[in-house]
Amino acid sequence: MSKELNLWLDDLLKDIKIIQFKRKNSRRVRIDIAPEALPALLELLQGRASYVHLSAITCVDWIEDDEFELVYHVWSYETNSLVSAHTRISRDPGVYLSVYDLYTPAAFFERDIHEMFGLYFEGSPDMEKFILTEWNGPPPMRKDFDSEAFVNQTFSWEEYHPQWLKDIEAEGGGITTRPEDVR
Amino acid sequence: MNELDKIPVRQELSVAEGNVKRSNPLANVFDELVRFCQSRSMFMLHYCTGCGAIELPPAMTSRFDMERLGIQPMVTPRQADILLITGYVSVKTLKRIILTYEQMPSPKYVIGICSCTVNGGMYWQSYATAKVLKEYLPVDIYIAGCMPRPEAVISGLRDLMGDIKSGRADNWKRYFQNYDHYLGNQQKLFGEDWQTPTDIIAEAEHYGLMTDQTLGEHTALLQKHQQPLEALEFSLGEKREKIQGENPREKNNE
Ligand code: SF4
Repeated sequence: MSKELNLWLDDLLKDIKIIQFKRKNSRRVRIDIAPEALPALLELLQGRASYVHLSAITCVDWIEDDEFELVYHVWSYETNSLVSAHTRISRDPGVYLSVYDLYTPAAFFERDIHEMFGLYFEGSPDMEKFILTEWNGPPPMRKDFDSEAFVNQTFSWEEYHPQWLKDIEAEGGGITTRPEDVR
Repeated sequence: MNELDKIPVRQELSVAEGNVKRSNPLANVFDELVRFCQSRSMFMLHYCTGCGAIELPPAMTSRFDMERLGIQPMVTPRQADILLITGYVSVKTLKRIILTYEQMPSPKYVIGICSCTVNGGMYWQSYATAKVLKEYLPVDIYIAGCMPRPEAVISGLRDLMGDIKSGRADNWKRYFQNYDHYLGNQQKLFGEDWQTPTDIIAEAEHYGLMTDQTLGEHTALLQKHQQPLEALEFSLGEKREKIQGENPREKNNE
């Protein structure tokens, strides 16, 4: 049954001109779609093909293309397959529509993405801070945030070969296998 | 019976002189006995911060059985002797760790399990985790490894027991003696208005551990920002209504 459903769905999706459709295996489908059309696609999948479970929304920062990529993973219990709908939006101003009205769990993912990437979702119920409640810096998952520089500026480091280790080594202890011995 | 009553169980220490002189010949015997007992009954508050916590269940339960050494898990900081920090510590968690540590009664010991507590471990370039735990708290023993096996954990705990028995494990005193240094590092990370409900300076006075390192510029900063503690408001119902009354979407559009 689920095989047949998948075939029908494939035919249907292949007919839509504005999307790129690619079946990766019997349980995974990749769709590339323009941002304007994505909510309509999700509505179609949810209403007509019972893709009722939004497993995740992921975000990728393509800083060289000046774009954010959003991936909506929806799962259907009827066809037992996962559709990943990819869309790209411009990094500046970084605003997109919420799909909260279609999938309530989206509120959670959108809030998270807003916090980590600074992407704003219009119509999402809550765009307040979520996990990083005590963080005042820029959204840390954006590629233009230099985590390493931030760390070097904020934290100090333990000495690599401190005096106490030298003392232990003088007594014949310490590191027995050095990295260069195993390589 | 009367004879026993005459033995002073507690010696008055003349701290003011700086040089503590002990006149009772039995004092050392008592000290040793007390230290032996301490090392044999340790209650451990395992604050499971990182992935290293996964090695504790086998270490505590029947396979490796820490309890045969007298080490038991304890549920509240006020009754615990050891604070076990099992892995990477995010900045947010570090605040809670410091709160917890300050609530523990002295003598108290801190064990940092995992490489992450030593130098950041594999999260060395993460913006969210604190790197060197001993900058913020005096650490008694580090057990390195990613993650250390239960044998390593137990051997580390045995080392700590040895240190307690011989009286070498007195790192907790350093927190009082060098409070300004630790507070300075904490303020650097959490902002200068950082404060905890525990009055460390008063405690340092109580334990007779005030040194010239206890107070300094950072504690002055603390006193400037310190707000008196107030009881938290307790109410049922009202708050909820307030939240429901607000329309979150309206707030976003502002
Ligand atoms: S040292 Fe390894 S096991 Fe331990 S907290 Fe860090 S990453 Fe996890």
